[in-house]
Amino acid sequence: MGTAINISDVTRSFGLRKALDRLSFSLPQGAFLSVFGHNGAGKSTLLRILTTLDHPSSGAVEILGLNARKDADKIRERIGYISHNPMLYGDMTAEENLLFFARLYGVNNPQLRVRDLLDDVELAHRRLDTVRTFSRGMTQRLAIARALLHDPELVFLDEPYAGLDPHAVEILDGLLASIRSRRTFVMVSHNLSSGYAHASHVLLLSHGRAVCFESTQDLALESLTDLYRRDVSEGVF
Amino acid sequence: MVRTEMRNPSTLCQFRILLTKDLRIEFRTKEMVTSMGLYALLVLTVYGASLAQTAWGFNILQMSGGLLWVVIIFTSLLGLNRSFSQEKEFAALDGILLVPMDRSVIFLAKMTANLIFLLVIQIITVPLFIFFFLATTTPAETALLIVIPLLVGSIGIAGIGTLLSTITMHTRGKDVLLAVLFIPLIFPLLYACVSATSMMLVGTDDLGAIWRSLALAGGYDVIMILLGWVLYDFLLSA
Repeated sequence: MGTAINISDVTRSFGLRKALDRLSFSLPQGAFLSVFGHNGAGKSTLLRILTTLDHPSSGAVEILGLNARKDADKIRERIGYISHNPMLYGDMTAEENLLFFARLYGVNNPQLRVRDLLDDVELAHRRLDTVRTFSRGMTQRLAIARALLHDPELVFLDEPYAGLDPHAVEILDGLLASIRSRRTFVMVSHNLSSGYAHASHVLLLSHGRAVCFESTQDLALESLTDLYRRDVSEGVF
Repeated sequence: MVRTEMRNPSTLCQFRILLTKDLRIEFRTKEMVTSMGLYALLVLTVYGASLAQTAWGFNILQMSGGLLWVVIIFTSLLGLNRSFSQEKEFAALDGILLVPMDRSVIFLAKMTANLIFLLVIQIITVPLFIFFFLATTTPAETALLIVIPLLVGSIGIAGIGTLLSTITMHTRGKDVLLAVLFIPLIFPLLYACVSATSMMLVGTDDLGAIWRSLALAGGYDVIMILLGWVLYDFLLSA
């Protein structure tokens, strides 16, 4: 099995502050990486770099064997990103939003694909309503459909459960389970137990540095919780 | 879920998709055109109040080119400040940036949308300006040709404005910053367009001077749009 993500010595600075500090890890294809850390630990910055929306100040990033700077477009064809921002247009309907992105990606038969995805996220009945009228949970479900339009093989999720009601959580879990087998996932989460439950690997960040990067086979939830309490909550750096 | 078939859409196709999206949203919300149109009407009202007190000897025809461009510049500033509001609200720009495409297409599509909105406003504003302020004057036979500097100037305003509104989109005090960057950068274009418009309205024997002004404005447009095309990817990454 190949490598989905390979980053070495990645640093991202904003002025004097280092959001990521010499971060290195390698994730195999098909893995599910859960990233934990306190607010400002660098989790979202890491995801923006991995999704080519940002570039590191130094260090090398390889996604699916491609250089993140030189082959950004080839990477974008193969990744999906679900952020806490929905990345949608508030004044367009659910269907218009998905059709717009599907056509930009060049999805064949976009109407059919959009209809299927709207069914999957249980928003078919609201397809003609503008996103502005949606609840947080509905908007997030539509954002999930947007991220999956082009059938990405590597999916990034930035706190996807934030603000979701139990029904929306159920739908998201079902969706993740249905597409899990063929894909690699990277999920940022604040919830240790639910993040760990999905994961094959965990990355613990504190002040931009990796406290640990382990397979869940080698690190039990209790040990992860202890590490989090000791190194992240109290802070070692 | 069945694996989705993909094809690479052409640059022209992506341009059309992006432009249609902007026009559709504007047609639905009328956010930019309404605010720009109202602002232009208010400026014309202020002109009316200010110029009503001038003496009979005042030759408004001589100043009309400059006055018209003041309306256009400030109205376009208002519109440009809002041109990325839809992208900013739900971070939709990030969604577009995740699509594998030449990012200069985003610039061209947004510039074209801004140009269309600006031209719509001018279609309303310019006849009103002429009706209210030039009805008692006798413009030159070349007056109808002002559509040329208006079009050339609008292209430049849309190009430079789109570039700068991208830079200022996420800054604090973006309204002021956009104006501070926009006015000095637009100055050569503004000077050439005001000059050409005034000569066309007042009339001149030196037609070459008109064409020189238009050539300067057109050249400036080409340089600025090429600059935007080349720099846009870097600007978005930065």
